[in-house]
Amino acid sequence: MFYVALRMMLYDKVRSLLTLLGVVFAVSLIFAQGGIYLGLMETSSVIIDHTPGDIWVTSKNSKNFDFSQPFPEYLYYHVLSAQGIQWAEKLFIAWALIKQKEGGTEQVEIVGYNPDTGIGGPWEMKVGDVRAVKNGNFAIVDDSAMRRLGDIQVGEYRDVNWRRLQIIGISQGVKSFTTAPIIFTSYKFAQRLVGWIGPDNTVFVVAKVSPGYSVDEIIKNLKKRLKGVDIYSKEAFSRKTRLYWTIETGVGFSFLLTIIISFLIGVLMVGQTIYNSTVEHIKEFGTLKALGASNLDIYRIIFAQAFLNALLGYLISLVITMLSVRIYEATEMVMVVRGWVNLLVLGLTLLMCLSSAFVSIRRIKKIDPAILFRG
Amino acid sequence: MGEAIVTRDLTKIYKEGRVEVTAVSSVDLQLNEGEVVGLFGPSGSGKTTLLSLLGCILRPTSGSLRLYGSEITSLDEKALPGIRKKYISFIFQGFNLFPALTAYENVLIVLKLKGIERTLADQRAKELLIEVGLSERMHFLPRDLSGGEKQRVAIARALAADSPVILADEPTGNLDYANGRKVMDILRMLASKERRCVVVATHDNRIEDVFDRILIMEDGKIMKENRRLL
Repeated sequence: MFYVALRMMLYDKVRSLLTLLGVVFAVSLIFAQGGIYLGLMETSSVIIDHTPGDIWVTSKNSKNFDFSQPFPEYLYYHVLSAQGIQWAEKLFIAWALIKQKEGGTEQVEIVGYNPDTGIGGPWEMKVGDVRAVKNGNFAIVDDSAMRRLGDIQVGEYRDVNWRRLQIIGISQGVKSFTTAPIIFTSYKFAQRLVGWIGPDNTVFVVAKVSPGYSVDEIIKNLKKRLKGVDIYSKEAFSRKTRLYWTIETGVGFSFLLTIIISFLIGVLMVGQTIYNSTVEHIKEFGTLKALGASNLDIYRIIFAQAFLNALLGYLISLVITMLSVRIYEATEMVMVVRGWVNLLVLGLTLLMCLSSAFVSIRRIKKIDPAILFRG
Repeated sequence: MGEAIVTRDLTKIYKEGRVEVTAVSSVDLQLNEGEVVGLFGPSGSGKTTLLSLLGCILRPTSGSLRLYGSEITSLDEKALPGIRKKYISFIFQGFNLFPALTAYENVLIVLKLKGIERTLADQRAKELLIEVGLSERMHFLPRDLSGGEKQRVAIARALAADSPVILADEPTGNLDYANGRKVMDILRMLASKERRCVVVATHDNRIEDVFDRILIMEDGKIMKENRRLL
């Protein structure tokens, strides 16, 4: 029946092309919206996801990575000394102002990490070394910040919170969800740079669980011992951060709405075409029924049409999406294309096209035999 | 001559809102193998409804219908496609060919529905089209065929079903005399040589000589039965 469906599609080329365009439009939009959403979400938790360690200790009621509050630094030692902890590191995150070359200021996110271990620091360097921020007013700026901060060169000086610092490296792949440029410095310098947090406070403690210990068990024990802080596994804190941006800002709803609308557009486009085609061929289908074909035999032709539309539309959309990833990158946006996303969109495309065929199925079920006898 | 179709008190009543319309009323009929029967009558006399009942497309309101000894009226709706596949073929005035498929493919699709293996189906489809005189035009789309040729494809398709009963509704209705005659000659031949039971609903008096029996319908009833329309 695939052959019959294909021949019917090839016979009416203009209509088939329009249907295919409809599917491609809808599916490409789903790919783009899904990919950009995932890109944004990955960006929102990029530092958590790339920092080694299993446990994140944050201030009480911390909403996400970017807006966490300080808590007393001595708690770090409680974490470090807890049974089953292999290592622990303090991590400093705070907002600051950087002076622009042409005047004015720009808000930046300061990340202070231990340069000896590099934990919490950049994971991919374009120029320079992660450990080089030690012992001085040194900083690493991410490549993605150039658009906001201008063309920064290694060795250049910049003023952050009215303190002069020298750029000693350029990192790659550290883009914040808030779009504010991220500047990495040593933990100690970050504390001095953002004075209001104080020298006895930290923003995060990241800890690694020793081999043979359960992360969940350690978290449970730490929760008993430490008051005034929240303790998460790395995955839970990453998820919490992503959910914050998804739900609290309405970003998730907006993307979801566009995906739903694209899906419905696809259903309508394919549904209308297949329905029109079914109505046009109703006598032929009726004749097949009269000659002994069951409803199921006819449904196969209709579903085959829907399936072919879905498959062709999906493949074209996938190619378009792969090609457009670079365009998105050029505009500083991140679009994620992953195997599981592709499979999910394939499932959605099939659902979209096959569900749209159901209206036609109803029509076939109710074929009036009298139409067969009308000349 | 063995009996192919037997009806007793066959009745079909349509409900149009609160009004009941009797399209076929108490028809008693016996149609035999190897016989070509003409069903004549004015429009609205019930010819098409009777054809639909005989072809198991419509279910009767009351009465009985036996096909080759099997009672059909008591069967479930789901069993009817199987009955049609086994016993009945149709030929329609409007041909009802898939415009996207060639003459050969229009025949092949029925063979495939019957579950015939690809090579055999392919061979049979070609044989049938040669049989109806379309050996040169089997790979043409319906739009490139004349009315007579389209009707011959429809006949080949009906033959592909290999059913003992062929029901034809105005098969010459869209054809000129020469083409209409060709079509009727093929149907006549199928009855004589292959012992098929052929029932033709028609207005066309020019082809009356083909029929073994002529039934004249009026107001849903068989009013008259003749060997020839006088």
